[in-house]
Amino acid sequence: MGHSVAAVWDNRTVLRVLVHRDLTLKYQQSILGYLWSLIEPLSMAVIYWFIFGLLFDTQLVDGGSYPMFIISGIFAWAWFNSAINESTTALTAQSRLVTTINLPRQVFPIGKVLGRFAEFLAGVPILLGAAYLFNGEVTWRTFVGLPLAVALQFLLLIGISLLLSSVTVMLRDVERFVRLFVRVLFYAAPIIYPLDKVYESEALPGWAKRLYLADPMVGIFQLYHSAWFPHEWPSTALLTTAVVGTLAVLALGIWVFRQLEPAVLKEL
Amino acid sequence: MIRVRGLGIQFHQGRRRNLRLRELLFHGSKRNPNHGTFWPLRDVDLDITAGEAVGVVGRNGTGKSTLLKLIAGVLMPDEGSIHLDGKVAPLLELSAGFASDLTGRENVNLVGALHGMSREQLRRNFDHIVEFAGDQVRRSIDAPVRHYSSGMRVRLGFSVIAQLPHPILLVDEVMAVGDAEFRAKCYDTMEHLLAEGRTLVLVSHNESDLTRFCTRGLFINDGGMAVDGSMSDALTAYKEVVEA
Repeated sequence: MGHSVAAVWDNRTVLRVLVHRDLTLKYQQSILGYLWSLIEPLSMAVIYWFIFGLLFDTQLVDGGSYPMFIISGIFAWAWFNSAINESTTALTAQSRLVTTINLPRQVFPIGKVLGRFAEFLAGVPILLGAAYLFNGEVTWRTFVGLPLAVALQFLLLIGISLLLSSVTVMLRDVERFVRLFVRVLFYAAPIIYPLDKVYESEALPGWAKRLYLADPMVGIFQLYHSAWFPHEWPSTALLTTAVVGTLAVLALGIWVFRQLEPAVLKEL
Repeated sequence: MIRVRGLGIQFHQGRRRNLRLRELLFHGSKRNPNHGTFWPLRDVDLDITAGEAVGVVGRNGTGKSTLLKLIAGVLMPDEGSIHLDGKVAPLLELSAGFASDLTGRENVNLVGALHGMSREQLRRNFDHIVEFAGDQVRRSIDAPVRHYSSGMRVRLGFSVIAQLPHPILLVDEVMAVGDAEFRAKCYDTMEHLLAEGRTLVLVSHNESDLTRFCTRGLFINDGGMAVDGSMSDALTAYKEVVEA
């Protein structure tokens, strides 16, 4: 495992080149270019605010601003969503490069995660502006929660992308399945509703709550929210789940990628 | 320079190959050896010393390109090992991995960088690469590669790879393409690179190309090394099999 980490690190120039190419290709044909990576999450935020904020009148426990609550998670979600969806085709869509140039193959999925991270970064100024506008509370949690959430999400996405990119080559159905599954994941994490709603719910049986809380993304999104809503800071149990879950997915991704690599190269 | 020991690779045929995920994850590729599988190459031993120019012949689908891809590291062997002293400049595919929506300039920088050229090397060699690719390419270097003719793409691809400083050069059937003028340029370049002491492995069906460049010949047949000798030995053996 240490070997592949070193190989990827040695090829960070290659990663930079790949990400640069990825972003150039994605945006050169569109007038709004980079702005799309902001427009999409923001328009989603407006829709959710309209439905759950205005129509259903969602209230936060500590009386914070619901629009801010959505925005604090929506850019991170956009990163999740696009990175996972694009990682399925990270190898198949670039098979020409993969089969002509000898690089550690891990750089292709990791490059996708990095490219979408660049778009996430583009949204950070909007996030800060919103925090100012909606009176987000700046505490020590802002400075610990945000970087920790980004770091965990990074590792989790690398694990997922290694897993999905290699498995998709062998089993093309994975791409469609993932598209569907990612939508489920969105509602299965406290992104547009506060986690308290899940704890308080009487309709949800205990096993379903435990299953819900086993998702490492729950802890990660609580960290994102807690940057502006101190009340949302995840419990130790939730944090542990997030860290252990992330590392487990990362290890699984690295292992599966390595196991499948010879077969993947034959198949491309 | 290149040391190959007991090399073997196995391919799977038919639809079953996609359903082997569980098998691959938990049993490696060693289980269930015979069903729907074949070995394009097996038990191949090969030593190529620095500066040698080796030609590879064989009928279609007998593992010549597979051998080059294994040496280039874009396929991984199921058996045996490959050891290389130095980096490889692979000319395996004509377009060399160009992205058709990027301009020629962007693609040269992209492919050059992916092959391990530093920014400094790229900057220094850029004009040379473009000039080598010819006037037509130079005039449209800032146009997207999708507007290039296939000949232009090949020329630009060859130019980039030929400028790589790597000691091992792998060439797969590429020189057959392009017009007479470009082919002459390619020949000059190849001779120039060989004179510099680079190591060449050339896969081709063109007898005159092979005899022109190669001092040693390999004939691959039935998944194994049938002849490893002079280029004319290999060609003779090849012709016997083809004509039989």
